[in-house]
Amino acid sequence: MLKKTIMALVLMTTTALADYNLIVPQKPSGGTSVWAQIVVAEWEKHLGEKINLIYKPGARDQLGPNEFQNQLRFDDKTILVSHGGNGISYLVEPVEYNYFDWESVGHMNLNIIVGARNKADTKNGPIQFPSGSGMTPEIMAIVMLLTGPNGDPVKTFENKIVWVKGMKGSERRLAFIRGDLNATRENPAAYKKHVMPVIGKGDAYTWFHHGLLNVKTGEHDKDPNFTEPTFEALYESTYGVAPSGDFYDAYKLVKSWRDALQKAFWVNKGNPNKAKLVAALDKMINDPESVAAIEKKVGKYEWRTGAEGDAAVRTLKSFITPGALKTLSDFGKNQLGYNAIYKEELTK
Amino acid sequence: MELAILMAGIVYGLIIGLIPAAGATTGLITLFGVMPYFVGDPYLGVIFCVAVVASSTTGDSFAGVLLGIPGANSAAATMVDGFPMAKNGEATRALSAAITSSTCNGLFWGSLTFLFLPWYTKVVMYMGIPELWALVLLAFVTVGFVSTRRYVRSVLAIVLGVTVGLIGVDVNNVPRFTMGWRYLEDGVQILPYMAGLFAIPELWDGWFNRKKTTTIKAEHGSWQDLKQGVKDTIRCWKDSARGGAIGSFIGLLPGLGGAMADWLAYGATVAANPKEKFGVGNVKGVVGAEGANNAQKASSFIPTVLFGIPGASFAAILMGLFLYLGIDLGSPDTFYDDKLFDSMTYAFLLGTIITAVLCYGLAYFAGWMTRIPYVYYFPCILAVIVWATLQYTGGWEDLAVLLVFSVFGVLCKKFQVSRPALLIGFILSDRIYNLTYQLTSLHTVNDLITRPIFIFLMACVILLMYWGITKRSRLDYA
Repeated sequence: MLKKTIMALVLMTTTALADYNLIVPQKPSGGTSVWAQIVVAEWEKHLGEKINLIYKPGARDQLGPNEFQNQLRFDDKTILVSHGGNGISYLVEPVEYNYFDWESVGHMNLNIIVGARNKADTKNGPIQFPSGSGMTPEIMAIVMLLTGPNGDPVKTFENKIVWVKGMKGSERRLAFIRGDLNATRENPAAYKKHVMPVIGKGDAYTWFHHGLLNVKTGEHDKDPNFTEPTFEALYESTYGVAPSGDFYDAYKLVKSWRDALQKAFWVNKGNPNKAKLVAALDKMINDPESVAAIEKKVGKYEWRTGAEGDAAVRTLKSFITPGALKTLSDFGKNQLGYNAIYKEELTK
Repeated sequence: MELAILMAGIVYGLIIGLIPAAGATTGLITLFGVMPYFVGDPYLGVIFCVAVVASSTTGDSFAGVLLGIPGANSAAATMVDGFPMAKNGEATRALSAAITSSTCNGLFWGSLTFLFLPWYTKVVMYMGIPELWALVLLAFVTVGFVSTRRYVRSVLAIVLGVTVGLIGVDVNNVPRFTMGWRYLEDGVQILPYMAGLFAIPELWDGWFNRKKTTTIKAEHGSWQDLKQGVKDTIRCWKDSARGGAIGSFIGLLPGLGGAMADWLAYGATVAANPKEKFGVGNVKGVVGAEGANNAQKASSFIPTVLFGIPGASFAAILMGLFLYLGIDLGSPDTFYDDKLFDSMTYAFLLGTIITAVLCYGLAYFAGWMTRIPYVYYFPCILAVIVWATLQYTGGWEDLAVLLVFSVFGVLCKKFQVSRPALLIGFILSDRIYNLTYQLTSLHTVNDLITRPIFIFLMACVILLMYWGITKRSRLDYA
């Protein structure tokens, strides 16, 4: 007990003398904050220096990245952690931050899985799906599956989708378990925890998942953890052609910016400490003990570090075309009800 | 080792509970920094965290009773009769009654929770979106019509509280009532709001009256007062048990939280004792509200452990902390982890008992504490409030919000606008707004009239409104 008390005091003291500051755009209890706390505990071991977590919540998690962009990134000892929601906001909201002024230290690629209850009519609807800007890729995929190659996605959304607003994560999980919703989506860890038991009872099934972005080809590879089809494979098997067009490009754009950057560490462009930070992160993801500790707590995700991370960002940039971005902002504003804007400057 | 960790958690939780406007959630948030030291033996971490919950929940009565400032949002209902009792020189008696009622219900419902955990899944599954919507409405009606005689003013206060609570962004992430200030897009934080409504007006009053008379009549703590509080709880056992049952039921339902449990329990106590006056120091008001306090915390573990769905805000933080320890609440692994259940049961039940003993000791000296000159504790409380407010972003904006709601709170007290109604409106604003969206998206009237629990709850809403309007409550607190 005495030893632990002394260690706690040492922790408090050393926190004040931290070698690096990690800007977290949420309260300490937020999902990305908890993720950062877990990963940083392992990262520090390989870095050999302290990383102090600085919480900058506010403005729907945009305050931290904005401050990093305008001021904090010029300090070589400051790192930012961002999440997928920041990626979506970057595409369709008037944010101040710009990923292309930063360099990637490392980020996690993520897959999202969509489950449906047996009673859901996945051909004609209605599909009762929880709303939220983070749900945009899933609802766009569902709309395409219900529309087919020749229909109008907007009409499909209006006639076949019940877009249930105001549901937080815990509420949508319980609503799906109870059957109030007939479809939902989760990341792999949450899917295993909340949807698989319903599937286990024979009341639901895995409808599709997005797959994992291959940064070299720009295509979605199959996730080895799931035998069910990806959205593209399901669409092709249903309609005999691969999905295409502006609506599909908009889906791919928003999905990739959310999932490929689901959790990402950044430093300012030209930061002299980047190589050291990347090397420590590489050591961490190659250390079975650290990997086991992280996977046990946050699930198994693929990491991309250093140059590979920067390559992923360039691939993401290639998805920003005028047609895709305009379709995304229009659908977001007119159908999903978001305050989305068309940011023409991103397409240049 | 387990006992040492348990004691450490209890002492820490008690300190947090004693700080005005803090509470279990605040106490748990600050624990992330020490979690790495429990990774070697995560069950010690479980014991520590659960002990913090158990002790802070009981300890939060002190600030409400002694200072008229809720120790947490769930303790505001206790304050309504507890603070007038303290003003009448009955602080020790009020605290003793609060501790006894809270502890007995905590032990009873805590035992039921942990012994019959798997059985509760069925109860949670019966409470769908319409039922939760009706339950929130019931909480509004209880505060608006039952627990005050100025129901028009109280209803307006609820509307005002809901409006403040809706500051932020709407379900489409479009800024709402932010007046272009981006800081407000994450909403008004509860701490400056609650401190501004409750703490600052009392400090203000205390400061301007410090030379006239002491706010609270000085008293010596005595065994007689302690015993009287215990006797009060035994005498009013029905109020205590009713409060416990209400608290336990609310705790089962994700997201409704402690404030709603305590106010429903308080409202039920007022309704069940129609010939008595409340808000002026009636010990039944303390016993009834405190009955719900620990019971709600205990049953909040049910959806949290079974589904990984937090039953209250403190439970959401607890899930994050447990995740840090490698314990994923709601996953099938936890169902077979006997040591986890044992650790939680041990920490909650033993923690509640030890906390009660310590709190009785503190209550004994409560009379002495009230004799401390105002000039000594005024700056300390103000400093704690300012420090706690700055924990959000640390910028001037935090202080500006505190200032605005401090002025608001002083005005509300002066013009007798119900501050409890403002608080419950604020806390449940998101819930009623979102549930209304969900209800109208997924259900039709034809569907609703086939749901017996929904019909029952709506009947209660109408009856309570009728009762409040025709009988005129006897509560005067603003």
